[in-house]
Amino acid sequence: MAIEVKNIVKKFGSFAALDGVDLKVADGELLALLGPSGSGKTTLLRIIAGLDWPDAGEVKFDGQDALARGAGERNVGFVFQHYALFRHMSVFENVAFGLRVQPRKIRKTEAQIRARVKELLDLVQLDWLAERYPSQLSGGQRQRIALARALAIEPRILLLDEPFGALDAKVRKELRQWLRTLHEEIHVTSIFVTHDQEEALEVANRVVVMDKGKIEQIGTPGDVYDNPASAFVHGFIGESIVLPVDVQGGQVKLGHKLLNVEAGNAVGPSNLFVRRHDMQIGAVGEGSLEGTVRRVRTFGPIQRADIALSGNDTLVEIDAPRDRPLTAGDAVSLQPRRYRIFAAS
Amino acid sequence: MSAPLPLSPLRSASSSTLTEPRWIRGTIIALAVLFLILLIVLPLVLVFSQAFSRGFAAYLRALVEPEAQAAIRLTILVAGISVGLNLVFGLIAAWAIAKFDFPGKTMLISLVDLPFSVSPVISGLVFVLLFGGQGYFGPWLQSHDIQILFATPGIVLATTFVTFPFVVRALIPLMQEQGTSEEEAAISLGASGLATFFRVTLPNIKWGVLYGVLLCNARAMGEFGAVAVVSGHIRGETNTMPLLVEILYNEYQFMAAFAVASLLALLALITLAAKAILERHLDPNID
Repeated sequence: MAIEVKNIVKKFGSFAALDGVDLKVADGELLALLGPSGSGKTTLLRIIAGLDWPDAGEVKFDGQDALARGAGERNVGFVFQHYALFRHMSVFENVAFGLRVQPRKIRKTEAQIRARVKELLDLVQLDWLAERYPSQLSGGQRQRIALARALAIEPRILLLDEPFGALDAKVRKELRQWLRTLHEEIHVTSIFVTHDQEEALEVANRVVVMDKGKIEQIGTPGDVYDNPASAFVHGFIGESIVLPVDVQGGQVKLGHKLLNVEAGNAVGPSNLFVRRHDMQIGAVGEGSLEGTVRRVRTFGPIQRADIALSGNDTLVEIDAPRDRPLTAGDAVSLQPRRYRIFAAS
Repeated sequence: MSAPLPLSPLRSASSSTLTEPRWIRGTIIALAVLFLILLIVLPLVLVFSQAFSRGFAAYLRALVEPEAQAAIRLTILVAGISVGLNLVFGLIAAWAIAKFDFPGKTMLISLVDLPFSVSPVISGLVFVLLFGGQGYFGPWLQSHDIQILFATPGIVLATTFVTFPFVVRALIPLMQEQGTSEEEAAISLGASGLATFFRVTLPNIKWGVLYGVLLCNARAMGEFGAVAVVSGHIRGETNTMPLLVEILYNEYQFMAAFAVASLLALLALITLAAKAILERHLDPNID
């Protein structure tokens, strides 16, 4: 089911949690809402689910007004950050809940309900836990039961709030993989909220980057990583080296030093953003920045070096391939290979 | 830094530096035990010994007296209605206060506590002012031949008022701690508001509800001040057990007074035991 969100505004007191948000989600997409805490991503998710109401704007499911319907009538599966499993019900009854509360006319028979719950527990590979209670499960198991419960009502949209937020790193990685596979199997339009950029880039088809109640950029993981639309996105997704520069007449200067980079549209005080691995390291004279290596750490295929820029107190951290070993004390030059310049705000 | 210190090598040191000398500890404990015996155990023993002072047969005779029987019946009736009303209102009030945000919420919480901070006698007097012959609704009630004061309705009203906070107070912290996400999950799974309340909210607070009802009932059966003001002390009609105890005592029928009192004391003991059991269920570390 396609979702369309138009000009949504939501205020809590004087704080604008959402400040004019527009978003279109195509049928069958797996979309990530990515942003720091307080960016409004969870509020947007709750408004789509019908758990919160916007002060202004529209939400449409396949062109139909969703705001005219309550949460229970939207046929949306919602997975809560802390799972919100019914603590007094067994795993089986948790998953069966959505089927048991259906109106009598369309409610399944007990045998059908049992079969469906069994099927869902098989899907999340936890059928052996059916008689346990939520307090007896691990975090990862609770998360999967919460997902099975949400899927029981055959939702047309699946919404997940920080689905892996409370799990340890290893379980998290497994569940991510698993969510991707699951989405390929059942292909329901899904939106998940996360503050973890790696998670968003790895799992989603498209990523929506949010900050301060607004959407900063929408694009594929490759897009938002390689072509960040704003300083915020560049800084939030992937780590960046940020150098304060001054742009005058197409020339970019760091202090008094002229840099051999294109100014683009920026004018006046700006920031130069470079990914750690996009800083080309060479012998003195090869690049427009010069400095001294202070410290080197090697792991895997890269070496990470702290380099103190000359004539300037700035310490930058770069990633270089290991084919040209660096040692502390080396004088080197740096040249941004790929970079972006955004006017300083 | 916060790792627990190894206990064994320090124990001998700590027992001499961190605690008082043995004789001080002994004296303090003895004082506490003495107080406990003097103020709690002794009166309780006294109630039962007085009640049985002329043997078990006399005790039973005192309890089957028509007046005593009427008082017991009235007390049970009043407590039953009051606890029932407070259960319904308490659930609604606690639900609204714990699960929703609305203007005037702090005000409502203070209002709920009001019966605790007002003297029961004043609580009773309020109803006299409202429904008494010279009260606001008195003339209208009289002309329609409706008896509230000096009758069961008045006693029920006064008792309900005085015991109102028990259920609410037991539930608010519990419901606040549980939050609203389970309810939201139920709603988004298609459950109606009522289904959500009965299938999710209520089962989660059932021990808290029982706890509140238990305390509410103990207070309702034992309430004296407010009931004394509105009852009118009509023998065999508007005397509850606590009122009857006082009347019998003032008439020097000590054995009968203590026999009725022993029932109230028994109620207190049962309440205490039930409370201890319920608290085990309410403890999140156990349940």
